[in-house]
Amino acid sequence: MKLVKINEDNCVYCHLCEVACKTEHSESKDIIKAVKKENVLSRCTAELNYPYSASIMCRHCDDAPCIFACQNGSMHKDERGYVVVNPNTCVGCWMCVMVCPYGVIKQGKNDMWGLSIKCDLCPDRSIPACVEACPNEALTFEEL
Amino acid sequence: MKYVIIGNSVAGINAATAIRQNDTQGEILIISDEQTRCYSRPLLPNWVIGEVSLSEERMFYRRSDFYEKNNFKILLGQKVDSIDTKNKTIMSSNSHTIEYDKLVIASGANAILPKNISGIDLDGVHTLTNIKGAKKLKENLDNIDSIVIVGAGLIGTKMAYDLSKIGKKVVLVELAKRVLFPALDDYGALLIEQELKKAGVEVILNDSVVQLNGDKKVKEVVLASNKKIQCDACLLSVGVAPNTSFVDSNILIDKGIVVDDTMKAYDDCYACGDVASIYDIVLNIKRPIPILPLAAKEGFIAGLNACGVETKFKGGFAMNSIEIGNTGFISMGIVESDNDCVLEFKKDSEYRKFIIRDNKLIGVILVNNVEKAGMFNWMIEKGFDVSWIKDAFLNSDFGWKYFDKAFRVLRLDRKLKG
Amino acid sequence: MNWIKDVKTYTPPDFHVIRDPDRCIRCKACVDQCSFDSTFYDEEEDKIWNWDAKCVGCNRCAAFCPTEAITIENRTSPYRINESWGKWNVVGIKKRAAFGGAPVVSMGSDKPYIVYWDHMLLNASQVTNPSIDPLREPMELKTFLGKKVDCLEIENNKLKTVLSPQLELELPIMFAAMSYGALNYNVIEAIGKAACELGTYFNSGEGGLHKDHYKFKGNIIVQVASGRFGVYKEYLDVASAIEIKIGQGAKPGIGGHLPGEKVTASIAQTRMIPKGTDALSPAPHHDIYSIEDLRQLIFALKEATEYKKPVFVKIACVHNVSAIASGIAQAGADVIVLDGFKGGTGASPQVIRDNIGLPIELALASVDDRLRQEGLRGKISLVASGGIRNSMDVVKAIALGADAVYIGTATLIAIGCTMCQQCHTGKCAWGIATQDPFLSKRQNPNIAAQRLVNLVNVWALEIKETLGAMGINSIESLKGNRLALRGFDLNEKEMEILGILHAGE
Repeated sequence: MKLVKINEDNCVYCHLCEVACKTEHSESKDIIKAVKKENVLSRCTAELNYPYSASIMCRHCDDAPCIFACQNGSMHKDERGYVVVNPNTCVGCWMCVMVCPYGVIKQGKNDMWGLSIKCDLCPDRSIPACVEACPNEALTFEEL
Repeated sequence: MKYVIIGNSVAGINAATAIRQNDTQGEILIISDEQTRCYSRPLLPNWVIGEVSLSEERMFYRRSDFYEKNNFKILLGQKVDSIDTKNKTIMSSNSHTIEYDKLVIASGANAILPKNISGIDLDGVHTLTNIKGAKKLKENLDNIDSIVIVGAGLIGTKMAYDLSKIGKKVVLVELAKRVLFPALDDYGALLIEQELKKAGVEVILNDSVVQLNGDKKVKEVVLASNKKIQCDACLLSVGVAPNTSFVDSNILIDKGIVVDDTMKAYDDCYACGDVASIYDIVLNIKRPIPILPLAAKEGFIAGLNACGVETKFKGGFAMNSIEIGNTGFISMGIVESDNDCVLEFKKDSEYRKFIIRDNKLIGVILVNNVEKAGMFNWMIEKGFDVSWIKDAFLNSDFGWKYFDKAFRVLRLDRKLKG
Repeated sequence: MNWIKDVKTYTPPDFHVIRDPDRCIRCKACVDQCSFDSTFYDEEEDKIWNWDAKCVGCNRCAAFCPTEAITIENRTSPYRINESWGKWNVVGIKKRAAFGGAPVVSMGSDKPYIVYWDHMLLNASQVTNPSIDPLREPMELKTFLGKKVDCLEIENNKLKTVLSPQLELELPIMFAAMSYGALNYNVIEAIGKAACELGTYFNSGEGGLHKDHYKFKGNIIVQVASGRFGVYKEYLDVASAIEIKIGQGAKPGIGGHLPGEKVTASIAQTRMIPKGTDALSPAPHHDIYSIEDLRQLIFALKEATEYKKPVFVKIACVHNVSAIASGIAQAGADVIVLDGFKGGTGASPQVIRDNIGLPIELALASVDDRLRQEGLRGKISLVASGGIRNSMDVVKAIALGADAVYIGTATLIAIGCTMCQQCHTGKCAWGIATQDPFLSKRQNPNIAAQRLVNLVNVWALEIKETLGAMGINSIESLKGNRLALRGFDLNEKEMEILGILHAGE
C-alpha cells in the first residue's frame, strides 16, 4: 500500500505541507481563504526539536485502533484501504484520539460537534498534496 | 458452519465482521433482545436531550445496509433464556431452540440497580445503558424540572451536564470523594467539577442515596446524610454488571464470563465485550472492563478465533475520554498511586499526570491537551520501557520529536510490528 | 522579539522586508526558514515581523512564502548622495570604527569592475561556410587535460610514444575546489554525484575528502594546499588528479581560516586536526619559495602516485601571472589553473577580495600568449576559473585559450545560493555554506545533484548550439581561436592583451 514516507533527514521545517493540506481540504481550494476564512486544520503537523524536524501524519495502520474505538463507525477504511473519518457522522468523542498510537488525530470543530481531523491521503489526488508541496522530498509517496 | 452471536452491539458486530471476513459462506445469526439495529450507546445522553435523533446515521454503529451487505441474519426482540454448551444449542424467549457450531456471547452489561435503596421501583426512576431506558427518560423529559443523578461516573456526569445545559435543575450525588472516581484523580476531578458547577449542576460528594420517596412517582430523594432533595425524577448510574444470567454451568463466571487469551469461554463458545472478564494489563487481574474500544477489539478477536483464525488478545486496561464544557480529558490505566513514580504538570487549565512502575507506564491523565494521548496508550499496551523518555512526558508539546531517531524512523515507517 | 538593535555601527539596515498583510497566512514558513533571526512571530499580535537590520537579503523567506506575501527591498542609501565617497566607503569606515576589526566577506567581489566577457561577441557562419545543427550531427565536447605530445610515433601498428597521464572530461566544465568545511557533507555529496553523472570532475578543495565520498573515485580531483589538511596516501590514491593550490582568486597571497566552531567531529577527522581547533592554512606553502621548490612538490606527488595522475597547479591571477605560469609549466605541472579575481571564497578580508588580482579574461589571454611564445602551450593544459557565469563565458574562455573551466559560484547558485555573502557566518539559510545540522538538511543531495546535472547539461547544449552556429563540430577546434571573438567598448590596449579584433574589423 502506498503511504507518505517521512524522510526526516530532508525536512526543512517550512510548513508548506501544512499549507498544502489546509488548501486541499478547504471548500474554496484557495490557499488564503482556506487559512483565513475557513480555518481549516492541517492533517499533517511539522514538528521541530533542533536539529530534528519532520512532518507527521496518519500512518494508516493495518489494524487501526481508531476504527475499533470509534463509537459509530465514522472511522473506517475507504475503498483504497486508507483510514478515513466520515465528517457527517463523527461526533467528536475523541476515542480515536485516545487510542491512536501515532498521536496524529486532531480535534476539530464541526458546527455543534467536535470532529476528528486526520490524514485521508487526498482521495481526489493521485499524489497527496503534502507530498507534492514538499520542496525537499522530505515526504515521498511510496510503498511502505 | 453456523455461527450464533448473542448480542447486537459493538462486540457482537465486530465478532460477526471478523467471521465474515474469513468465512464468506458460513451462516451468521445475531440475536438481540433490542428492537433496533446496532446503535451508538455513548450517544444516548445526546439523544435524550435531542442533540441527535434516530433518523440520523451518526446515531448508529453501522450503516443501514450493513447486515444485508454482510449477509448477517438477525433476530431482534429475542431474549436468550439459556444456553446448552454440551449440545450446542441456545433457547430463546419464545422457546425456540437454535443450534450452533460456534457461539459468541456478547450480551453486554446491564445497569446496576442498588438493592439497598428503597423505593427503587417507583415511577420516574431511570437508567441509561440502553435505548429502552433512554427512551423512557426522553419521553418523560418534558415533565421533569429537577432530577437527581445517582453516581458521578461517565454516564452520570455527562448526563448531569447535558440536562443542566437544557435547563433542568440537576443534583449529582456521588458516594466517592470526587466525581468520575476511577477515571480521574482529585485534581482532575476538581477541574470537571468546576465545569459542572459552572453549568449549574449541584454536586454532592461523599454521600449516597438511601431512599426514594413518592406515591407512585418519585418526589424526594433521601441521602445517607439525611439530606432530602425534592425532584421529579431520578437517574441511577452507579455502574453496570455483566449480563450472564442465561449461561450454563460449563461457563465459568467471575464477575464476568472468564475467557482465555483467545476469548474462549468453553468449547466452541467465545465471550467478548462488557460481559467478558479479560486480563487487565495494568492491574494484572482478570475483570470485565466495560468500555467500547475494548469491546470492539475483543469482539473482533473472538470472531477471528471462532472462525479458526487463531489470534491472541493481550489484554486491555481502562481508558476514558470525555468532554464536559470546555474541559476535555483522557485517562488511561490507574490514576492514583502512592508507591510509584508519579509525574505531574499543571498550568492554567492544562493538567498532565503520569504513573510509572518498573519503568513502565501504567497510568495517564491528560486534561485539555489530549491529542497525543494515543502515544501513551501505545506505551501502556506494549509495556514500553519509558525510562529514557519519561522526562519529556510533561512537555505540553510531547510528540515524536522527543524520541530516539532510530526508534522513531522504525515506527513511522511502520517497520516495528507487534 | 527580545532583541535590541545595536546602534553602535551608526549604519541603517541594508534591506527592508515588506509583508503584505492581506496575503500573509501566518504559516510561519518564513519564520522557520530565516537563519539570521530576522523574522519572528508575535503570538500575542498574531503577526509576523522582521528586524531589517538582521536581514541579509538571502531571499529564503520570499522564495518559500506560499502566498507571495514577502518582498525584500534594498533600502536606498539614506546619506546625501556623494559620488566621490559612495555608500560602501562610508559604511566601511563606520564598521571598522565601530568594531576595530577588518571586515571579512565571502563570495566573489561585487564591485563594479568591468566584465570582459560581456565585451566580447562570438562569430557565426553565413554563406561562405556552413553552420551545423547539433541535434542532427555529432558534436564533440570531449576534452583531455594533461601534457600533449608534438607527434605520435607508431611502431607495428602500436603506439610507441609514452603519453602523459590525461584527464578525460565529457565536457569542458569541472566543479571548482570548495572544501568540506566551507560546504557541508550534503553539498559535497551532491557535487560528487553530479560529477559522476556528467562524466566530469569535482575538486575536493583543501579540506580533505570524507571517507563516504571515496565512492566518487574516478571523478575526484584532490587538492594539496598550504595547510596540507587531510593529505595522505588513500586521499591521493582515490583521486584522478592532484591539484597544488598556491593561491585563490578571491584572496591572492592570503591563507585560509576555518574557525574552530565549524570544525565538527566529522570535519576534524577528514582534515586530520583536533575537533574544535581553528584550521589555519598558511599564506604561502612554507616549502615552496621558488619555482624549483614547486617542482619538488610536483614530483613528490607524482612519485607518490607512480606518475599515473596529472598534477594541477592553481594560482590566483596576479600582475605577472604569465611569467609565473611559464615557470609552472617548466616545473613539470600538467595543468595550470588560473583563478580570476572574481572567484568566490568562503571568507576573505574585504580589501583583499575587492582590490587584489586580475580579471580572468586578461590573465587567460596573456598566459596563453606567453606559453605559445615559449613553445610550452602543448606541454600544459589551461583551466580558467573565477567568474564563469554562463555557457557563453565558457565558450569565450575556450576561444581565449582555456582547455576547460571550473565553476564554483555557479554551482552554488544552481542549488539555491543567492550570493548574500554570508558564507563566513556559517548560517547559510540555503544550507550550503553551513555545518549546522538543521540548516544542512536544506540541501537534499539527490535534488541538488539533479539541479547541477540539469545546469551543466543545458550549458553543454548551449555550447553545442553555439559551436554549430560557428560551423565547428568539436570544442577542440575552438581552443585558442580568438578569431571567433570580437571586442566592443574596449580600448586598444585591452584588445591587444585579449588578442582580439574590434567588432567590425
